[in-house]
Amino acid sequence: MVKYFADIYNSTTAILSGMYLTINHLFRAKKGIATLQYPEERWPRPERTIGFEHGSYNVIRSRLHVDIDDCIGCLKCERACPVDCIKIETEKSPNRGEDIKDINHIGITSNSTKKALVVTRFDIDMSECCYCNLCTYPCPEECIFMTGGPNESRHSIDYEFSEPERTDLIYHFSKPGTKDGLQEMLNNREAEA
Amino acid sequence: MTVDFIYNFLNDLLPGFLGNDLLLILAMLLPFFALFGFITIYGFGVIYAELKVSSFIQDKTGPMGQGYGFHAGKWGLLQPVADGLHLFFKEDIIPATADRPLFILAPFLIFIGMFVGIIAIPFGEAIIISDMNIGIFYILGIGSLAVIALILAGWSSNNKWALYGGMRSAAQIISYEIPAGLSLIVVILLASSLSMQEIISYQSGGIFNWIIFDNPFMPIAFIIFFISALAETNRTPFDLPESESELVAGFVTEYSGARYAFFFLSEYVNMFVISAVAATAFLGGWQSPFPNFLNTPAWSVFWMISKAFFLVFVMIWVRWTVPRLRVDQLMHLCWKVFIPIGLFNIFGVSIWTVLRG
Ligand code: SF4
Ligand code: SF4
Repeated sequence: MVKYFADIYNSTTAILSGMYLTINHLFRAKKGIATLQYPEERWPRPERTIGFEHGSYNVIRSRLHVDIDDCIGCLKCERACPVDCIKIETEKSPNRGEDIKDINHIGITSNSTKKALVVTRFDIDMSECCYCNLCTYPCPEECIFMTGGPNESRHSIDYEFSEPERTDLIYHFSKPGTKDGLQEMLNNREAEA
Repeated sequence: MTVDFIYNFLNDLLPGFLGNDLLLILAMLLPFFALFGFITIYGFGVIYAELKVSSFIQDKTGPMGQGYGFHAGKWGLLQPVADGLHLFFKEDIIPATADRPLFILAPFLIFIGMFVGIIAIPFGEAIIISDMNIGIFYILGIGSLAVIALILAGWSSNNKWALYGGMRSAAQIISYEIPAGLSLIVVILLASSLSMQEIISYQSGGIFNWIIFDNPFMPIAFIIFFISALAETNRTPFDLPESESELVAGFVTEYSGARYAFFFLSEYVNMFVISAVAATAFLGGWQSPFPNFLNTPAWSVFWMISKAFFLVFVMIWVRWTVPRLRVDQLMHLCWKVFIPIGLFNIFGVSIWTVLRG
């Protein structure tokens, strides 16, 4: 009999103390919330402390980016890629080293190399990329690189690039319309001549 | 606000405008639409409250949004609307081996059982759809319709989890009807009436005349009623019929889309009904807590709804605090704790009323 009432007393007090706890959390909601509204708010990224300056640490594995204005279409990155996820197509430039305004092509890279080729297609399938960084080393113009980190000045970091469609993960770096534009331009010139 | 009252009112307002029969149908439809609108708004509100309260209790934000488009509106206010649309546009699957007519009937039956209970709930001196002289008895009886619906749902799904869930809920609801009834009997003893309005008028004149403060037995009766009623709604901590970890989803396992929404909504309507009954029987119903102050009809609706909503809030609060009981613990609580104490309560209150004269 005593145990019966002791049990009732114990369970009542246990439930009440539990409810006291939860109501406290309810009223503390404003400052106690542990979750973030992700796309709008983010946790700050911790600074990397690996012993030396950020700039002298030149490997970061975030997302590839290509400065297409600097790319000379040498295909070295395509050959270096172990998973073959870079696809490059080029056309011979009609005037080596000259800008072609119609298709927004710039003739000379920032390293003042004259471009002999127009890059008509430069696709990287980021769903296949294994982030090995092997493609960035051979590039003579240093125009293919991982975003952020030591390259922060060229492209801010981007490691969150989920997409609703798998094909959206194929990044097209060549300027849109380059291929058709170039063909059309050559046809026009032929017609004029 | 009975149908007769509306009928006479409309008849005075538009004499000879409509035929007598049409007018009667109109007078019946008006409270129906009022109720339906109330339930819809209440449903959205309580689902939103449930999401937010549960999240705050767990230190989360709950549904949030920073605008429109694919966000759920400011503070996620559109989340219940999105949930509702989602449920209603989902594919409605009826299993091939299910007992089709019964499977289709069950969600309607449970919804009708909950819906019809509201008509006997008084929101004010004249604001009650049907002022029956056996109101409280009627609500208890109609509420038990849910058992049939749940067993139908469990049986007709032709699924072992659903059947287990249905059996469990039947056992649970039938068991907990007894302590709920026992503690209402105490109220009926004091008010010496089964009519909701007379139970409320017994409690007129401020907070200390409410039945819960009437004598030392009443708080116990209130707690027993509230917990038993909570058990009848099949909500955590009494959600054994649909305990996810054991029974997938219990009797709603095979339901989807709009039919599932009916089960879902009827749970929340049921919460309101039992909170309103608890408020009527123990907390003075639509009476203001201050004697002769804020006691006009508009305020009476406010008092009734706020008392009921407070109890609904307590149910949500309990749900996110207390873990689920085991089946044997559930039966132990009902048969070995609530029923003896409930019987003792009746005994005590009877003696109390006799001694008080
Ligand atoms: S990082 Fe590696 S896998 Fe990715 S594109 Fe470059 S070479 Fe290919
Ligand atoms: S290695 Fe550099 S320059 Fe050569 S194709 Fe690749 S990105 Fe262009």
